[in-house]
Amino acid sequence: MTPLARRVVVGLVLVLLLGLGLEYLALAQARQASTGTAARRQALVAARAVADVVAAASGSDETDGQEAALQRTVDRLAASLDGVERIRVIDLGATSLTVSSDPADAAPRRLKRDEKNLYDAGQLLRANDETNRQEGVARKELALVEPLGGGLRQATVPLRSDGDVTGMAVVDVAAREPVPHTAWWHPVVLGLGALALALLAALPLGSNRWGLNAVAAALAIAALAAYGWIGLSTIHADRRTEEETVAARLVAVSADAGKVATAVGLPAGTLQAAGWDADLYGRPRGTVSAAGAIDEAALAADLGQQTSRLVRLVAGLSVLALVLLAFVGLGFASTLGHTLSTHRQAYFYVVPAMIGMLVLVFFPFAYGITLSFTESNLYNTDKPIWDIWVGVDNYVEILTDWKVYENTDEGVVWRYQNFYWTLGFTVLWTVTNVAFGVTVGLFLALILNVKGLALKPFYRVLLILPWAVPNYITALIWRGMFHRQFGVVNQIVQVLGGDAISWFEQPFTSFMAVLATNGWLSFPFMMVVSLGALQSIPSDLYEAARVDGATGWQQFRSITLPSLKPALVPAIILSVIWTFNMFNIIYLTSQGEPAHSTEILITEAYKIAFEQYRYGYAAAYSTVIFLILLAYGAWQNHVTRATESIG
Amino acid sequence: MAFFKLSGRGDKVPQLPLHLILAFFVVYTLYPLAWVFTVAFSGGQNLMFVNLPPDPTTLDRLRTIIPWPHDFSFANFSAVFTDQPFLLWMLNSAIVAIATTIVGVFMATTAAYAFSRFRFPGRRTGLMSFLVSQMFPGVLMLIPLYIILVQWLGLGSSRIGLVLVYATTAIPFCVWMLKGYFDTIPKELEESALIDGASPRVIFTRIILPLAKPAIAVTALFSFMTAWNEFILAATLMDQETMYTAPVGLRFFVGGFSQQWGYFAAGAIVAAIPVVLLFMYLQRYLVSGLTAGAVKG
Repeated sequence: MTPLARRVVVGLVLVLLLGLGLEYLALAQARQASTGTAARRQALVAARAVADVVAAASGSDETDGQEAALQRTVDRLAASLDGVERIRVIDLGATSLTVSSDPADAAPRRLKRDEKNLYDAGQLLRANDETNRQEGVARKELALVEPLGGGLRQATVPLRSDGDVTGMAVVDVAAREPVPHTAWWHPVVLGLGALALALLAALPLGSNRWGLNAVAAALAIAALAAYGWIGLSTIHADRRTEEETVAARLVAVSADAGKVATAVGLPAGTLQAAGWDADLYGRPRGTVSAAGAIDEAALAADLGQQTSRLVRLVAGLSVLALVLLAFVGLGFASTLGHTLSTHRQAYFYVVPAMIGMLVLVFFPFAYGITLSFTESNLYNTDKPIWDIWVGVDNYVEILTDWKVYENTDEGVVWRYQNFYWTLGFTVLWTVTNVAFGVTVGLFLALILNVKGLALKPFYRVLLILPWAVPNYITALIWRGMFHRQFGVVNQIVQVLGGDAISWFEQPFTSFMAVLATNGWLSFPFMMVVSLGALQSIPSDLYEAARVDGATGWQQFRSITLPSLKPALVPAIILSVIWTFNMFNIIYLTSQGEPAHSTEILITEAYKIAFEQYRYGYAAAYSTVIFLILLAYGAWQNHVTRATESIG
Repeated sequence: MAFFKLSGRGDKVPQLPLHLILAFFVVYTLYPLAWVFTVAFSGGQNLMFVNLPPDPTTLDRLRTIIPWPHDFSFANFSAVFTDQPFLLWMLNSAIVAIATTIVGVFMATTAAYAFSRFRFPGRRTGLMSFLVSQMFPGVLMLIPLYIILVQWLGLGSSRIGLVLVYATTAIPFCVWMLKGYFDTIPKELEESALIDGASPRVIFTRIILPLAKPAIAVTALFSFMTAWNEFILAATLMDQETMYTAPVGLRFFVGGFSQQWGYFAAGAIVAAIPVVLLFMYLQRYLVSGLTAGAVKG
């Protein structure tokens, strides 16, 4: 065999092992799930039938001897319903076990300490029912099914009187649950067959790189597709068995419970078989009718969904197979292996940092971008991405909302949570802060640079202090100082004869407050940078200028400013990005008050994510912020390059 | 235009107006700090330095703005450590910051060494990707990190989660800083060691690390400070009161409807003093690092 053929065959073996293995696991898991569903459905059918009878029997008005009658009914139900092992009826109001078909339970009595799980289950059903009725949707589960071991399942369904959940029926049902056996030889035969064909093809094609790879790819996909087809028909057969089992159970339960109902003298409409085969939320599944007939159309629709899910899986695996095959077969893998071993020392040192960055920086970044195309929120983060995919809807919602203000009867009303308001405010915030920082910083640096100024180091240390104080502390301090009633700023205003101002109740005053706060902490950086640059200007430049008769202003313009530029420009770039992202000052000082008007983009994104829990929308919002920063970076880069080439 | 003569250096400038200007800015700078100290040492939780009488005169009002405590007391400091769980929060902060420093500096020195000394495929991409990652907005990272750490890995309210995030976000800065320093260490030192048969590991631990001690120390101090001062990630990930870090705890004192300004001020002083001192010591490295490329020209 040629080295090429060997490589391709190794690649194919890997692909087949991986692809068929994953398919096998997926199939086995799907079958397991299907059997579980069948058992749950059977348990629920029996439990709901019991609940119907019990509710009707305890609903009759006679109080004397009612419990005894109920006990008799329950005993009869337990005896005649196939697979029902034990029936317990629990009154949630009195937290007592009213009736049990098992004499060992010694009903009626209060619930014992070790039956707390029953009590909890009852409270849960009650609360869920209340929530569902308030919201008008079936969002919370209205029945519980738990495996008890030994093939038993315990189904708990609510008992209602006048629509309220007042009790529950706990029914232990033996569900026939054959463990499905998924044949292992299907994938093995398919895999070996594909491999044999590939080996055959390697004889004539031994040195044709593309031809051999194409054959291997076709064989791999064929094997995956064939096994996918086998899996699909197995799942379909399983599903039909499931429906048939449930239908048979429904018919049997319906007949037996009907006999008991008639025997104890309940009216004919007691049994509501149409609602028995419903999911945990009480929504009928619709594939099995009340009479036990299978609704072929509904079943076909369900199967269609399962089919498309399987097709997606096979398609995904095929793509993966092609990539892997190309990687190994076309020789990238051996090149990579070679590179890795040649430079193993270097990679050895880089790997810890690289893994950390990949897992906690680059993957979250990519995941964040992905989330921005979904409607992910607090409740659905465990769902697969494609179930909550909404495409570019979030971006459209953010970017095409042009209504920054509304005209109402009371005049123009600004919509502060509009993206463009926040963007505008952020730009204003950044520009004013950086302008303030540069002006004050440069001004102080010029003063501190005066030759022979006394106390220079003393001033320098004191003026740097705001930069050293952690900015969340600064933010909280100023929040306190701007307090309307007790804040010291208003005391000063009052000393000067003004009236106390509610700083955070008007957008303008709120902006002034955060500006004062951020100005306080941002000028020292500019001062230090300017001072450093000023000190590096050789003094003979000024002497030469003076000899030529230049005025102070001319010296400043032609010597000082140009010499400052190389230091100031990067400092301004940095400071623009810092201010644009100055989360803590806005979040802690103005807190966006009033009504989100002083929110900057990132604080708004944070609040969307962690106060409204709209992760997908917030991710799209943050992606837009990232793109803005990226555009700014590119523009800045372009401009500095251009000016450099001129200067 | 006289002001611009300042840059001219040669002329004698009258100093008094300059001192007045500087004094004004010193007051602006120091007033909030004096305010914190006054509130902290007042012994109470009140924002006001003195309570106003019902009909205040200007003199009364003047007293409310002079940052000098009316009654001097250490009550807030002792209460914040005994009645309030602030000591625990400081401890959390210290554990997280120290662990972050160790993990971050370890990963950064090894990676910086490789980037500085080896030429390997992916080196440029790696370095550039570190640089680009600095542009990711924190909030964009926060949402997926929250989902991954809290909902997938169950690391909400755990110090480990916080340490991992802090350490990895600190890596790019540390790597670039250390790589710059490693590049200045002459290669001849290693080459002679190499001829003597030393392996890269020996060179790294015996030659590079000892020579780079000052740079590693500075990098470590910066990562420590960043972790110690970080607020929003900790506030988002740590929702159990016993797991708060100092910044989250300080916000807890005065956030929402809570108005315990005395505790906040005392806690803020305790939490800030070490980093303020550290910062004053380190700022020359920071400035030269940030504007290194620029000042040269």
